[in-house]
Amino acid sequence: MSEHDRSQPDAQLDPGRPFDGVRVLELAEGISGPYAGRWLAALGADVVKIERTTGDPSRAFGPWPDDLPDDETSGLFLYLNGDKRSVTLNLETSDGREILRELAASAEIVIESFEPGYLAGHNLGYDELSSDKSSLVMISITPFGQTGPNANLPATELTLYAASGQMWLTGHPERPPLKNGGSQPSYQAGLNAFAAISGAYYGAVMHKQGSYIDLSVQETYAAMAEAFHNRASQHGIEAQRSGNNLNALWGVYEVSDGYGGICALPRNYPGFAKAVGLPELQEDRFADPGQRLLNNDELMAIMYGWFIGQTRQGLMQLGIEHRVPFGFVASFEDLSNSDHLKGRDFFAERNDDQAGSLTYPGRLWLSSGHDWKMGRAPQLGEHNVEVIHGELGYEREDLVRLRELDAI
Amino acid sequence: MFDPGRPLTGIRVADLTMIWAGPYAAKILADQGAEVIKIESPRAWDNIRTLLPPPVAPGEHWWNTNFYLHEYSRNKKSLSLDLGSDEGKAIFAKLLTHCDVVIENYRTDVMDNLGLTYEWLREQKEDIIVVGMAGFGKTGPEKDAVGYGPIIEMTSGMTSTSGYGDDGVPYKSGISYGDPIAGICAAAAVATALIQRKRTGQGQYIDLAQREVMSTLLGEFYMDWSMNQRLPDHMGTGHDWMAPHNVYPCAGDDDWIAICVRTDREWEGLKRAMGSPDWAERTEFSDQILRWEHRSELDELVGKWTAAMKKTDVFAALHAERVPSSPVWKMLEVLRDPHLKSRGFYEPLRHPEVGIWSVHGWLWRVDGAGPCILAPAPDFGQHNAEILGDLLGLSDQEQSALETAGIIASRPEGVLLASEMPTTPSML
Repeated sequence: MSEHDRSQPDAQLDPGRPFDGVRVLELAEGISGPYAGRWLAALGADVVKIERTTGDPSRAFGPWPDDLPDDETSGLFLYLNGDKRSVTLNLETSDGREILRELAASAEIVIESFEPGYLAGHNLGYDELSSDKSSLVMISITPFGQTGPNANLPATELTLYAASGQMWLTGHPERPPLKNGGSQPSYQAGLNAFAAISGAYYGAVMHKQGSYIDLSVQETYAAMAEAFHNRASQHGIEAQRSGNNLNALWGVYEVSDGYGGICALPRNYPGFAKAVGLPELQEDRFADPGQRLLNNDELMAIMYGWFIGQTRQGLMQLGIEHRVPFGFVASFEDLSNSDHLKGRDFFAERNDDQAGSLTYPGRLWLSSGHDWKMGRAPQLGEHNVEVIHGELGYEREDLVRLRELDAI
Repeated sequence: MFDPGRPLTGIRVADLTMIWAGPYAAKILADQGAEVIKIESPRAWDNIRTLLPPPVAPGEHWWNTNFYLHEYSRNKKSLSLDLGSDEGKAIFAKLLTHCDVVIENYRTDVMDNLGLTYEWLREQKEDIIVVGMAGFGKTGPEKDAVGYGPIIEMTSGMTSTSGYGDDGVPYKSGISYGDPIAGICAAAAVATALIQRKRTGQGQYIDLAQREVMSTLLGEFYMDWSMNQRLPDHMGTGHDWMAPHNVYPCAGDDDWIAICVRTDREWEGLKRAMGSPDWAERTEFSDQILRWEHRSELDELVGKWTAAMKKTDVFAALHAERVPSSPVWKMLEVLRDPHLKSRGFYEPLRHPEVGIWSVHGWLWRVDGAGPCILAPAPDFGQHNAEILGDLLGLSDQEQSALETAGIIASRPEGVLLASEMPTTPSML
């Protein structure tokens, strides 16, 4: 069974990248779809990013160098759109829709994030785009999915965090529920979309059959509630917020130069006690796993006292030395300067003509089979001529007309 | 017939993962149709089976029925095999010739210590795809650091972005967020490696550091550091330009609703939902910038409206006006969310010793896919005979000898019987 797809490899030469020669149409704005498209591009895909004529709204979110807003230097946009080509299209015009259909005919993968029903309402849904191409993989990424009573309800990171059950679990038990930082609902959905597309594209390659995927941000996030969800479901027990400390050996503590933490399971205790070195940790009330949680408050008091005498780097080194799960709350300054991460080629380090010197995550994993592209993001409409004139064969005067009609 | 929800049908995975991140990856592979063989030693078995004892009298085989195990291991097969013994390793070598993928999330040095290096794995199966998911990767000065989800969160920059803002304290997520994130990414890595194998005929080694994957979800913060040498402020549940943007108390026990207003149109919707109170017409709330400047007062006034109502009623009023909002669903409530219910997100899981309960189904919906849940987590060693006998051709006598020698087992060694279980508090 497992031999069926290795008997006839397609090529034996330079390994290249997994998505070399694969065209992706990205009809997605913001974070989720572009995040998925970014990694497809880094793995070799020709990602043609279709932007509205005013640009992906993420161009209007910062950060910007020196806080000067500029469509071409938004840090969020530059991060999420490396190695893509930008074509502007106004899908409210028939010319814009026709060009999109022509582009879709050359694409293997389509990523879209319009409000449910929008593309189908413009005869650009999966049925239309795949009518001559049954191997097309298309994914729709929306807050609540394509169906159900909330399908067309607008959402934000905060409301999705609440709707997934994640927010209930986060924050101090005596304070309101807390949102974690950044745009995690959108980012995690983008990562799920990348996994979904990769699996579906493999299926399409093997079976010449594409698929249409409906991805809901709420659902992918709700699926991460781990023990809390299954315990509620199997035993009817509600979970409580636990703040920074699930128990004395699982959480965040203040240290002398910031914050650090420990996450020790029962099997990590002997190593932990040895690394910390306090004699009372060898007493049965702490060392015996059956008694430890009964004496949690006392253990926590000891831990507060011990951690405040540590430094962040000291904790990290102690963890490495003793193979104990210690860590520290790293800042983006720490991370950007990390020899460990730099040595592992984690960062794209570029000197951007307009945005200056930039250091940001440039890959997901290290592979013995391929490398990652870490190129720049396109300017708005930078590839209009190259794609619409050069590849689709429209004349230059057509481009002028399309511009006048507000189609590009 | 091709099930579009199961594009990995025909792929066999040797799953050496334990606890969270790795099993989450293998769950996604199994849901997608791969034959995932969860391999555990009779002695070094997956701790997730017993980490959280059940809150009721444990069933006889509670290591097979535990809710935590089932969160991660539906649709998988179970093989018990001691990879530390020569005989176990020889069987594993044989099994590898039938496998496409090996996935593990051990500490960095464990595979090498067991002699299961990439070179050795490739000797058994030349085009094998190997995914190692050590927290900090397989190379570099921090490779020997170890960590579960919250450590991954802290060391990735994630925790530094979260907090109430008034006390300077960084907060971790409520879940071990680093784990599912690494798991999803590893599932993607396997699919891309399969695509690459189809193109080139070659397998590959994937060194996936959990902390690095988490850090890719924070791109804008890296950019702000590069561009402005600025670190993020803790925003609590607020926002840097939206107001109202917060969680508001509702009638009930620790009940809350999240409400966000991004535009004047949504502000008009909120006003109508609130019954058009006079205070909402005040000049200081008349545009977005003013509302943001007066957000404390605005939050207080909106909170007075919500506090008298059930969160589901507040949500119904805001839903009708298309204002971004959601009740802060508790765990028992999200299971009953009418929207998720209408989409069939939760599917029944049946186990002969437990009965029926509901678990999340497809992470994403593929048109024309069959049902997501085909089987509960396997019993420990449930598929020993199928894999060792049917697949590898070992006779019944050979299998019995392996069991006698402790190379395979039908029960994890050292596990407490239900009758021996002490009554101690759970770590949750």
